Amino acid sequence: MAEVAVYPAPRRGFNPWPVTIFVCLVCLAILFLAPTIGVLLSSIKTKRDIALGQLWTFPDTIFLGNYAEVIFNPAVHRYLVNTLLVTVPATIASMTLGVLGGYVFSKLPFRGSNLLFLAIVSGMFFPPQVILIPLFQFFNALDLIDTLWPIILIHTALGIPICTLLMRNFFATVPNALREAAILEGANEWQVLTRVALPLSLPALAVLATLQFTWIWNDFLWPLIFTQSDEKRTIMVGIVNLKGQYSVAWGVQGALSLIASLPTLIVFLFFQRYFIKGMTMGAVKG
Amino acid sequence: MAKLQLENIRKVFGDLEVIRGVDLEVQHGEFVVFVGPSGCGKSTMLRLITGLESVTEGRILIDDRDVTSERPSKRGVAMVFQSYALFPHLTVAENIGFGLRLAKTSKDEIRRRVDEVAQVLQVSDLLDRKPRQLSGGQRQRVAIGRSIIRNPKVFLFDEPLSNLDAALRVKMRLEITRLHNRLGSTMIYVTHDQTEAMTLADRIVVFNAGAIEQVGTPIDLYDLPANRFVAGFIGSPAMNFIEIMCENRNGETYLRMGTDELRIEGARGIRPGTVTLGIRPEHILLAARETADVVAKVEIVEKLGAESLIYLNIVGTNSPLTVRMPPTGSVKPGYKVNLRFDRERLHLFGSDGNALTGGH
Repeated sequence: MAEVAVYPAPRRGFNPWPVTIFVCLVCLAILFLAPTIGVLLSSIKTKRDIALGQLWTFPDTIFLGNYAEVIFNPAVHRYLVNTLLVTVPATIASMTLGVLGGYVFSKLPFRGSNLLFLAIVSGMFFPPQVILIPLFQFFNALDLIDTLWPIILIHTALGIPICTLLMRNFFATVPNALREAAILEGANEWQVLTRVALPLSLPALAVLATLQFTWIWNDFLWPLIFTQSDEKRTIMVGIVNLKGQYSVAWGVQGALSLIASLPTLIVFLFFQRYFIKGMTMGAVKG
Repeated sequence: MAKLQLENIRKVFGDLEVIRGVDLEVQHGEFVVFVGPSGCGKSTMLRLITGLESVTEGRILIDDRDVTSERPSKRGVAMVFQSYALFPHLTVAENIGFGLRLAKTSKDEIRRRVDEVAQVLQVSDLLDRKPRQLSGGQRQRVAIGRSIIRNPKVFLFDEPLSNLDAALRVKMRLEITRLHNRLGSTMIYVTHDQTEAMTLADRIVVFNAGAIEQVGTPIDLYDLPANRFVAGFIGSPAMNFIEIMCENRNGETYLRMGTDELRIEGARGIRPGTVTLGIRPEHILLAARETADVVAKVEIVEKLGAESLIYLNIVGTNSPLTVRMPPTGSVKPGYKVNLRFDRERLHLFGSDGNALTGGH
């Protein structure tokens, strides 16, 4: 029988880095999740439990009364409808303009187009507080205060820079030969965009849709400034409105907060596959 | 089939003149290959013909119709791109029928014609696949399919085989020849690979620095290069060039070569002094010492099986020389060998690079 040489496995020293990183990540995850867990816990407790200060403990029985109160509250229905009426058109409009701008900047450059692109993208760096008062005066002059129009228009405008930037960079990765092949086959620019460039841009569109939808849905500032009556409030302002006269309705607000985050969660889950692909696109050669 | 005429075409990008007055006539059903080094303007010329770039000056006529300012899709040309440019989100059938769908052709008609083209190119069983599921050769066929379905007057190929491996390239080259024989269409093919040019072309157009150096059949260019550039570009390995003295006596031009003195016939205005002698590697032979033109030291021997390529340096001048010869074990690196140039195959070029003789 042949002799088999047995070598001892090489001894590896203890590497503390993976453990350290893991512990840090767990701590961060807990920090990030804590508010959500707090909201979730308070949403399934009675007012009495919360009033007793037991915010972070598990209740003996799960109380769903807060959810029932929110779900059957007509004001909440109005908030949700208003938020949808703002979010969906503003998301679609800003994405449409971003797609059109991005296509021109990447595939049909003209003299000065780079400068114009920079000017548009620089719009991302204006803090909203700077334009708040002029915009209020502007929409007041147009008699649009306490309507949803200012919010739709502002979100559309504020979305253009990021949408244009993202789409321009994505379209730049679509080979020019594809556009030229389509043109030789008889396509005009609109057909190149809709039949070639856009179908190839689904990851970028998914990223944009998710970002824009979430950002507009969760916005608190603009609806607070431009709406006054309860009939025009969006969901984020509505959460604040649900507070009682003499006490804060933590349970009800918690329940509404969770319900209010569902649409963004659904949008994210729906686009998740594309989202991850979109975030990493261009990272490696395809 | 169509006739293509290019009249004094110029193209300027900013300050850079990339096409400098090109005139060319391509006959019905002719297979013309544009060759030249990178950046010589051959691909730009193709894009000008398609209309993807506009000409700065000059006219493009297809079947005597001026198409210079026509939209690309109205010119009756189709192009096969180097990268194939297949639409990744569409199936093979949708890719081939893309143009017909844009032209709002009926679905039945599109299906019929796609099937027909797929049969010609042997891609019938791939029609439901996406481009990423195809091999390089299959993608190439689909790209050709997309161009032939619209029955264009002129086919343009922009280095279509450069992304394929060597074996597949040979196979596709034969398929393109078959396709040309079958369709009989006018085809213009751009390549920097002169083997492709020699094997495919009815006529070759050699481009250099945005202008045409020479137009002719492959054999014409090989045997009778108009200048040193064409002589060096056509043929592989490239032609050898040696600086050599010539003198005039009694109205005759003589070339001093080794022990020989050669009287040059058909020389056009050769002045005494240095000229460039061109000789192809296959026209240099091993010789006895007394009949040798040069003695050279072997540097590298490349054995290719059917033949060997010997790289040498001429003793004395140290000029490099390449010789193609039948496989031999007797020539080894470091050896000195006596070489004789085939007198019938000498080319002479003046200081301006133009040919002084009509070749052999």
